[in-house]
Amino acid sequence: MDAKIKETLLNPIFKGNPITVLVLGICSSLAVTVELKGALVMSLSVIIVTGLANLILSTLRNTIPNRVRIIVQLVVVALLVILVDEVLKAFAYPVEKQLSVYIGLIITNCIVMGRIEAFALGNKPFASLLDGLANGAGYGLILVIVAFFRELLGSGTLLGMRIIPESFYEAGYMNNGLVILPPMALILIGCIIWVQRSIQKDLQEK
Amino acid sequence: MNTNGNTYTIVYSTIIVVLVAAILAFASSALKPMQDANIKAETISQMLDAAGIQAKDTPTTNEQILDKYAETVTEAFVIDLDGKKIKDLSIDRKNLELQDDLKAQNTNIKNGKDALLPVYKFNNGTTVIPVYGAGLWGPVWGYVALNDDLLTIAGAYFDHASETPGLGAKIKDDPEFRKKFQGEKLNLTRLENPFDIAKGAPVGNLDDNQVDAITGATMTSKGLDAAIDTWIRAYAAYLNKVEE
Repeated sequence: MDAKIKETLLNPIFKGNPITVLVLGICSSLAVTVELKGALVMSLSVIIVTGLANLILSTLRNTIPNRVRIIVQLVVVALLVILVDEVLKAFAYPVEKQLSVYIGLIITNCIVMGRIEAFALGNKPFASLLDGLANGAGYGLILVIVAFFRELLGSGTLLGMRIIPESFYEAGYMNNGLVILPPMALILIGCIIWVQRSIQKDLQEK
Repeated sequence: MNTNGNTYTIVYSTIIVVLVAAILAFASSALKPMQDANIKAETISQMLDAAGIQAKDTPTTNEQILDKYAETVTEAFVIDLDGKKIKDLSIDRKNLELQDDLKAQNTNIKNGKDALLPVYKFNNGTTVIPVYGAGLWGPVWGYVALNDDLLTIAGAYFDHASETPGLGAKIKDDPEFRKKFQGEKLNLTRLENPFDIAKGAPVGNLDDNQVDAITGATMTSKGLDAAIDTWIRAYAAYLNKVEE
């Protein structure tokens, strides 16, 4: 049992990472990774939503009518996302203002629906909660790695603090404008997938 | 139990939807006071930025923003379309009043009646008035600070609901764009277009009442231009009266 919990928790972080292996949730990872702060808040929001959505739907799984299954899932996910948005609006207004468009889009984040369909509907509530949290964390990990490089190379800052000293700029160093744009996020994710596949040989196609 | 029957499906869906609606209604009303406080502080901080009292990105708490406003504001009142004062807005720190229902007032201005137009005067000699209009994807609004001649723009702050990041969103994110408004003048003799955000005007050939539009954000620039024109026109009676 212990080994199974460990597997549920650790698998989505690396071996079965939702972004790099399952290739879910790519769209939002391109949009919110310009700055580290946005990525952190987004990760936290997704972790909460995937965790709770899995927990609630796993608890209800034997009562949900099969024909309206997806609609019930959507209603629950939408409820959680709106709650996250409202709470941010009350307690972290500047962040919410910056992220509100993307927070709303968590509803359409493939990871949430994907994990509900693939895991929560066939497993016990506690295991589902762990699976949701772990998948959110796996998503967040990639988001933070990408945002780290994009903010550092694109703006010379981390969490809004200047990292690259002024003297570099005076010596002719320039921020890379391309890193700010979404295509570079895709390339960075590509690089991460490359690294992961060369470590984890069994992912490579014959 | 048969969870696939029609009756069961309908009853189940109804219960879920009612339950979810109840939770949302409760959360929304429970969090409303805090959200309103945030929005009020945000509005005030935008005015303070336009008036050149405190830059918007200075890290402060809501309370500090309200303190700063109560300290620096000298007069706040509401006028109508004829420039007549209708009522005062309280500037007491414990009960700060704003007239910030810009959307409703924008409709009133367009209908030509019942508009409640706020005027905020600060102790550095600036008068701040709002503007509101439609951008490309959603509303754009902002605050324009005028010097004591009520013609020269001292500063401006613009905000938007959902303009394109990197293009239309520059009205808020690009300090250079906002800085261009400083020192420009309103032309109240030409009321159909008292101020212009000009597209494609030759560089260095801009009038006193023109700033250059944002490249790649034609619709947002146009919307903001229309917002400024509409609202300045609504304030024209008041702005002219002071001049005489």
